[in-house]
Amino acid sequence: MKIDLNKLTIKTAHDHLKDGDFTSVELTRGYLDVIAKKNKDINAYLEVFDDALEAAKKADIKLDKIRNSKSEIRDKSEMPNQNFELLGIPCAIKDNILIKGKIASSASKILEDYHATYNATVISKLGKEGAIFLGRTNMDEFAMGASTENSAYGVTRNPHDLERVPGGSSGGSAASVAMNGSLFALGSDTGGSIRQPASFCGIVGLKPTYGAVSRYGLMAMASSLDHIGPLTKTVTDSEIVFNAIRGKDVKDGTSIDQSTYPKMRIGKKKPIIGVPRDFLGQGGIDPETIRAFNVAVEAFKAKGYEVKDIVLPNIAYSIATYYIIVPAEVSANMARFDGVRYGLHVDGKNGIEDYFETRRAGLGREVIRRILLGAYVLSSGYYDAYYNRATAVRRMISDDFRKAFESVDVILTPTTTGPAFKIGSKTTDPVAMYLEDIFTSPADLTGIPAMSIPAGTIRKDGKDLPIGIQLLARHGDEATLFEAGKDFLGES
Amino acid sequence: MITPKELDHLATLSRIKLTEDDKKSLIKEFDSILAYIDQLKKVPVKMDAEGRVGAVKNVMRPDVVASISSEDRERLLNEAPDREGDFIAVKKIIAQD
Repeated sequence: MKIDLNKLTIKTAHDHLKDGDFTSVELTRGYLDVIAKKNKDINAYLEVFDDALEAAKKADIKLDKIRNSKSEIRDKSEMPNQNFELLGIPCAIKDNILIKGKIASSASKILEDYHATYNATVISKLGKEGAIFLGRTNMDEFAMGASTENSAYGVTRNPHDLERVPGGSSGGSAASVAMNGSLFALGSDTGGSIRQPASFCGIVGLKPTYGAVSRYGLMAMASSLDHIGPLTKTVTDSEIVFNAIRGKDVKDGTSIDQSTYPKMRIGKKKPIIGVPRDFLGQGGIDPETIRAFNVAVEAFKAKGYEVKDIVLPNIAYSIATYYIIVPAEVSANMARFDGVRYGLHVDGKNGIEDYFETRRAGLGREVIRRILLGAYVLSSGYYDAYYNRATAVRRMISDDFRKAFESVDVILTPTTTGPAFKIGSKTTDPVAMYLEDIFTSPADLTGIPAMSIPAGTIRKDGKDLPIGIQLLARHGDEATLFEAGKDFLGES
Repeated sequence: MITPKELDHLATLSRIKLTEDDKKSLIKEFDSILAYIDQLKKVPVKMDAEGRVGAVKNVMRPDVVASISSEDRERLLNEAPDREGDFIAVKKIIAQD
């Protein structure tokens, strides 16, 4: 049968693969054709892997086996997930997640020729499920940015309007799904890097609970806020990928299992939704975005949800807190790029000069800015005024959420202050770019799960630009996000 | 406000060479970022409060050496910019007088 990539989801593709309507090779070739046609304009992929079709052939052999065995017992060691929903499904991987033997550059010059020496845990898991890795996607260098303009390998363009950014830092991953260049993608989220590009590209982006997905093999940016999560077309697909990659991992001491957080629910039939109205009333938010958000709130009410106003007194301090804690952790994490053990090496006069030359040549402006800012906020004399204070405020923000979740099950906000902005419009003002994370960073600071789902479009300059809404839930309660998200989008 | 001298010190600590042009724009950018994050100084905080994310706590593991295949060892060594046999080569750091 003819494959309509535009309509395809993981769930429907899986049904077709299972029924033999098309093969994984045909499906993979379909995506490779789209990439060959669109990637030169959009630049979602930094590299397309030459072994994708080979992997698809192997998936087809397994699919054949499953079809022929029908309901008979399947070999469990070969197929850990009995639903094999990702078997033969093509996906894209953000360039900061390691795939053994492949280049992983974090879109940085300093890792231009670096080949990963092991698989990230999420890659091992997806590999066992039989997912097909199509290639690695563009991003802001080391995930520092909100537009994918900080890549050392050129900007990624938004498939809905090539003049605009796809968001960031997982902009390549989001664009790959939105341009029908992959069926799903993995991204990473430290301040909004999955949800903001998902909103800009009109897809679903999930940042799971801190620790729910192992970060082993994810290049560390700010370790107390880094998360891996899926970018998908539907909430159902998001849940499928999340279930495949979640779980405690001995290789990541911060990873958790499903029993870590107690299950709680206040709403009897449907989750109760809280809206932090006072926070939304602050300036800087596009009026049409507020309107789209209000339409979404009404849609939830029409579906029988109780919606309450809530207050998060300290949430307005999130960005200031974030831009102290993140650079502090960045300055420590980036110290590993020394030109000695791997990556770029530039010769200086002596050993120590090698470091200065290598790091100047290999690291981009935003990365250097954050390293220096981090060193500043951690230095003696400033430590109490900045880092210690930010850590205390972070705790206060967490307490605000804890209190809010005593009366609601889901908190609803816009994902971003507006639709995708024009390329180059925020590159000269770091603070303007930082404010992109105003709605998304609180979930990273507190570790609660959050998901952006599409909520219509806004017309700008003759183009319909997608806009997302964000759902937040208690620690460990992705299930409620999926429930409310599916309900909103009419997924059964 | 950050002084050029402070910025030089941070660059030295961070092992990053900066040109005069870099410094000029960085000082400007630092000023706008610091002006923004300075709003935290207004927040009445209890400074003894520790930052905490979710229910994460310290995790220990047995102090056991994990084995690694010779292929993986080769992969690791091959990523080094300069290699001599099974060693990563670096410049001499102690000079003879």
